[in-house]
Amino acid sequence: MKEKWHFIFYLIWFSYLILSAVLMFGHGFLLSRKTLNDVSDCVSLSKIDCDGRENTLKGTCSDNIKIRHVSSFLGAPLICAPVPNRVILILVDALRYDFTEYNPKLDKPLFYQNQLTVIKKMIEQWPESSRLYRFIADPPTTTLQRVKALVTGSLPTFIDASSNFAAMELQEDNLIDQVVKSGGKIILLGDDTWSRLLPGRWLRSHALYSFHTWDLDTVDNEVDSKIYEEIKKDDWDLLVAHYLGVDHAGHRYGPNHPEMARKLQETNARLQKMIDILPPDVLLYVIGDHGMTDSGDHGGESKAERTAAMFVYRKAGLGVEEEDKIGREVQQTDLAPTLSAALGRPPPAPSLGNLLFSVLPKMSLPMTLLHLSNNLKQITKYLVRYGEESQQVPLDKLAYLINTTRDQIEKAAKIESDQDLRKYVSDVRNLMENIRVVFREVWVEFDSLSMLRALLLLLLAVFFNWLITEGIPFERISNIFASTFVPCGLISMAICTSVCYTAYYFNYIEDLEHSIILSTGLISGGMTCVLTIMHWDGITQRWYEGRPYFYERFSRAALVASAVVLVSNSYVIEEGATLSFLSFTVIGLMAWNIGTLKALVLWMGCGIVLAGTRLYRGCREEQGDCWTAGEGMPTGQASRAALVLALGSVSAIVAVARRHTGWRGYGIALGGLLVCAHWAVGWGSLGSPAQSKLLAKLAWLVLVVIFILIWKKDGRGPTLPLIILGLLLYLANVLVLGASYAPAAALSLLSGFLALNVVSLLKTDGSSKYSLNTRCNSSVACLWALLACYNFYGTGHHATLSHIRWAPVFHAGDPNYVSFGPVITVVLVSLHLFGMPLMFGATVPLLALWGRNGVSTLGSRTQLAAVFSLCLKFALCFAIRVFVCALSATIHCRHLMIWGVFTPKLLFESGACVAALLGTIMGIILTVWHLPTHQRKS
Amino acid sequence: MFSLNHQLELKKIAVSSLITCIYLPSIVTVISYKGILYSIGKSSSFYVLVLIFIAELLKSFYLNSNVQTKKYKGNRNRAGDIVKAFVFLLGVIFCFFVGIILFGAPVLESHDETLMLSTLLTLLTVFPLIALTGVEASMQLLFGVKNFSRDTVIEMLVNNALLTVCGAWLGAVVIPLDWNTPWQQWPIPCYLGAIGGYVFSNVLSVVKITMMSAANKYPVLNFFVSVLNKFNLSK
Repeated sequence: MKEKWHFIFYLIWFSYLILSAVLMFGHGFLLSRKTLNDVSDCVSLSKIDCDGRENTLKGTCSDNIKIRHVSSFLGAPLICAPVPNRVILILVDALRYDFTEYNPKLDKPLFYQNQLTVIKKMIEQWPESSRLYRFIADPPTTTLQRVKALVTGSLPTFIDASSNFAAMELQEDNLIDQVVKSGGKIILLGDDTWSRLLPGRWLRSHALYSFHTWDLDTVDNEVDSKIYEEIKKDDWDLLVAHYLGVDHAGHRYGPNHPEMARKLQETNARLQKMIDILPPDVLLYVIGDHGMTDSGDHGGESKAERTAAMFVYRKAGLGVEEEDKIGREVQQTDLAPTLSAALGRPPPAPSLGNLLFSVLPKMSLPMTLLHLSNNLKQITKYLVRYGEESQQVPLDKLAYLINTTRDQIEKAAKIESDQDLRKYVSDVRNLMENIRVVFREVWVEFDSLSMLRALLLLLLAVFFNWLITEGIPFERISNIFASTFVPCGLISMAICTSVCYTAYYFNYIEDLEHSIILSTGLISGGMTCVLTIMHWDGITQRWYEGRPYFYERFSRAALVASAVVLVSNSYVIEEGATLSFLSFTVIGLMAWNIGTLKALVLWMGCGIVLAGTRLYRGCREEQGDCWTAGEGMPTGQASRAALVLALGSVSAIVAVARRHTGWRGYGIALGGLLVCAHWAVGWGSLGSPAQSKLLAKLAWLVLVVIFILIWKKDGRGPTLPLIILGLLLYLANVLVLGASYAPAAALSLLSGFLALNVVSLLKTDGSSKYSLNTRCNSSVACLWALLACYNFYGTGHHATLSHIRWAPVFHAGDPNYVSFGPVITVVLVSLHLFGMPLMFGATVPLLALWGRNGVSTLGSRTQLAAVFSLCLKFALCFAIRVFVCALSATIHCRHLMIWGVFTPKLLFESGACVAALLGTIMGIILTVWHLPTHQRKS
Repeated sequence: MFSLNHQLELKKIAVSSLITCIYLPSIVTVISYKGILYSIGKSSSFYVLVLIFIAELLKSFYLNSNVQTKKYKGNRNRAGDIVKAFVFLLGVIFCFFVGIILFGAPVLESHDETLMLSTLLTLLTVFPLIALTGVEASMQLLFGVKNFSRDTVIEMLVNNALLTVCGAWLGAVVIPLDWNTPWQQWPIPCYLGAIGGYVFSNVLSVVKITMMSAANKYPVLNFFVSVLNKFNLSK
C-alpha cells in the first residue's frame, strides 16, 4: 500500500501551496517604509558670511544679522545652534498619561492613580520650569518601534513589529548619531533595545536584557545604582535611562494592582531624588514610550495605548508656553527635533516632527528663527529626496507641500515682533501637522503585483482542490493516488525550483523566492487542472446524481458565509458570536435531519457548551459595551473559584478519558495530575513558584513521552491513538492557557466531542457507499472548521495584537536562559493562540472513523481515502477563509481600520490556517501509521 | 380536477392567508406611523402580541368551522383541552426562550425582550397548529410521527412555522453591524424578521393557490407552481 505516503505528500503539497501564497501576499502587503540614508549636517555660524552664504568670509557683522539672513534664505545650509544644553532623557516604559495626573478629589484612588506626586508638586511650585503633556504615540505601540520613532522623529510601519525580538541596527539618521557626530558624549542606562538598535555610540553604557517580562525590579535597580553618580558627573551631553518596571508590572499584573502602585511610587521617589541633585541648566525629560490597555498590554492603536506622558523640568526655566499648559497633546515625532535643537544639532534627516519651544530653554527671537528655519529646511530636503526615491506620495501633493514650506522659510525675513513670531510658530506647526498627516496616510507602499499574484495562486489552489474533493467520485480517489500523480507533481516542483535557482545563479531573475513560489504554484495549478479534466466524466456524473440534503448545502453555505462576512469590519469584530451562531445552527440542522431525541439532547448540550464559553470570550476595544464595562481579560493570578473550576475540569476530563483509552490513558492521567499540581502549588501567596514551574516542566515531559508512545503500533486501528492525540493537545493547551482559561479549553473539547457524536448519528441509508458519502461529506468538515475557528474566540482570544499574551511563555520558567529560548517562546505563544485549530485539525480523521457506523469497519484503503478526503476538505475550509481575508485586506487597503482590524485578522487567520494544516497532517500521518496493512479487501 | 374536499381546503388556505397578509402588515404599519416601531421588542408592546393572538384565534375558528376538520379533534373535554394547550404553549415559549439564548442572545440582561420574541414565535408557529388540531396531534406533527398530505391546511401551517423561524434567524444577521441604527437593538430585527417570514409564507401560499386555480386555463403556470413548491420547507 505505497499510496498511503502519497496521500500525506499531497496534503503537504497543498499546505505548501497555500502557505507560500500567503507568504507572498504578506511580502506585498506588509511592506515597510522606504528608508533613506541621508544624514542632516550643520555648519557653524562662524563659517557663514553676512549675506547668509557659506565660506565666503568677507565682511564682519553680528551673529544676529547672519541669522536673519540665513533663516530666510533657501539656499543656506543648516546652522548648528551655538549654545548646546545638557539633556537627561528618562524613559519610563508604558508611562500612561493618567498615571501622572493628580486628582485630589478622588476619595478612593485606584492603584495607578495619584501616585506620581512629585510631578504635581513641581507643576504647582515652579510653573515656569515644568511642563506636563500628553505624548501621543503612533501605532504600533511596541517598545522597539517607539524607540525608533523617538530617535528618528519619523513614523514607524507595521511590518517592523515583527522584528521586536531581534532588534537590528538602525539605518536611518537619528538623534543619537547627530550628537555623536558633533563629538557629544552619551550615556545609556537600562533597556538593551537601545544598544542593539544603536551599537557603539555610547561613552558608557549599562544595558540590560529587557524581555524577562516577569522580572519587575532587576533593570530598575541596576539603573538606580548608576544614575545618580552619572548625573553628578559632567562629562556627558545626553544621558538616556530606560526604566522597564512599570511596563513589566502592567504585563504581569495589569495597571490596577498593588505591584503597579509600588512601581509608580518607586518612580516617584526616583524623580524626586533626580530633581534634587539636578544642575540648574540641565533639561530633564521624563517620557513614556506608550500607554497600556486595562489588561496591561500594548501594541495596538487604542487611545489608552497611544496616550503616554511627557514631563519636562529645567530649574532655570523653560520657554514660553502659549496654550493651555497641562495635558496638551504633542506628537512623539516632535521629540527628536526638539532634543536635537536642545543639544545644538539640526533635526535628524527623516524627522517629521516640529519643534516644541515650550520645552526648550528660553530663546531670543533670532535663535528661535534659526531653529525654525533649520526644521523647515530639513523637512524640505526630506520631501524632495522622498519624492525622488519613491512614488508613494502623489507628485502634485508633494510639490504643493514643498512650495508651501519654501514660502514659509522666506516669510521669516519679515518677522520683527514677538507677536509676529508667535503667529509664525503656529503657522509652521500647522504646516508640519499637514505634512505628517499626508505621510501617515500613504506610508504603506503595497506591492500590488505580488498581492494579485498571491491571490491568483490561492484561488487556483482552492478551486482545483475543491473540484478534486467535491467532484471526483470516491472510488477513483484510491486509484488516482496509487498512480504516479503525486510523484509527478513533486518532481515537477523540484524541477521548477532548480530551474529558478539556476536562473537566479546566472542572474536572469532577481527575486528567487518570488519566482519559485509563482512557478511552483502555477505548475501545481496546471497539474490539478489536468487531473480534473481527465476525470471530468466522473465529476459531472457525480454532480448530476448528487441529491444533497438541506443540512449539507446549508453547512457549506455557512462556512462560505463565515468567510465572506470577514470583508465587513463589524463582523470581524463580532466574529466570535457569528461563528457560534453558525455552528450551532449547522449542528441543529444535522440534528433535525437525524430526528431522534438523542440528537436533540446532543444539540442542546452543544448549545449550552457554546454558551458557556461566552464567559471566557475576550473583549476588544471596538466592541464598546464590554470594553467600557472593564471586561478586559483578567490578568495575573486566577481567582479561587477559577482555580477550582480549572482543577475540576481537567480532572473530570482526564478521569473520564482514562476509562476508555487503555494503557495510554494512564499517561494522560499523569499529565493531567501534574498540570493540576502545577496550578495548585503555584497559586496564591503561599504558593511556591519554583516548584510549580518544576511541575509544569514535568508535565511537558510527560506530554512528550505520550506523544512518542502514541506511535507504538498495537494493531487496533487509528481511532484510539487519535483520541489520545486530541487529549494530549488539550492538555498542552490547558498548560499554556493557564488556570483562568483552562475551563474554556475543556468546554471546547466537549463541544468537539458532542459535535462528533451528532455526526456519527447522521442517517446513512444502510449501505456502505452511502455511509461513506455521509461521513466524508464536506458539510462535516465545514462544521469542524467552524468549531475550530470559534474556539479561537472561545478560549479568550481576539484577532488584535494587544491580545497576544506573553504570560504563557513563562509558566514553566524563563526560556530566555537557554540557548534555544526564542524557539520555545515562539512555540508556546503560537500554541496559546492557535492551540484550538491545531487540536481540531489533528482530530479530523475521527470524523470519519468515530462511532458504530463509521468507516473504521471498512477496508483500510477505503478508510484511508475517506480520511484523506475529509482532511483535504478541512484544510480547504481554512484556505478559503485565508483567501477571503487576503482579499478583504486588498479591498480595504486604504480603509480606516485596515491596521486595526483587517491586517490583524489576516495575520491571525493565517496563523490559524498554519496550525490547522499542521494538525491535519499530524492526524493523517498518525492514521496512516496505525492503519492495518495486511487487509487488502476493498 | 380537484375534489370538493380539496377545493374547500384550498379556499380556506387562501382566505386565511389573505387575512394574514392584510392584518399583520397593517399592524406593523400602524405602529410605525405612530412612531413606536422601535419599542416593539419591549414589554410595553405586549398589546401587539395580544392582537396577533386574537387574530390567530379567529383564523383558527374559521379554519375549524367546517365539519371536515373535526376529524383532527375529539371534542370531548373542552376546558381540559384549553388548560392542556395553555401549559403546552408555556412549555413551547420556554423552549424558544432557551433556544434563542443558546443562539447567542444575552443570557439574562434583556430577558423580557427575549421573552417577547419567544412568545411571538410561539404565537406564529405552534399556536395555530394547536388551535387547529389539539395538543396531541400537534405534538405528533412536530416530532414527525404523523404525516400530512400536500396542499392541506396543516401543510400550510407547518410551512408558515418554518419560514417564520427562518425569518427570525435571518433577522439576526444585521445585529452585529456597526451602523448604530435604532432598529439594530435586540430583538427588533429578529422580531420583524419573524413577522416578515410569516407574511412572506402567507403571500406565497396565496400566490400559489391563485396560480393553481389559474393553471386550469393556462397550463404554463404549472411551472410557476412547481417553482413556488420549492419554498415548501416542510418536506
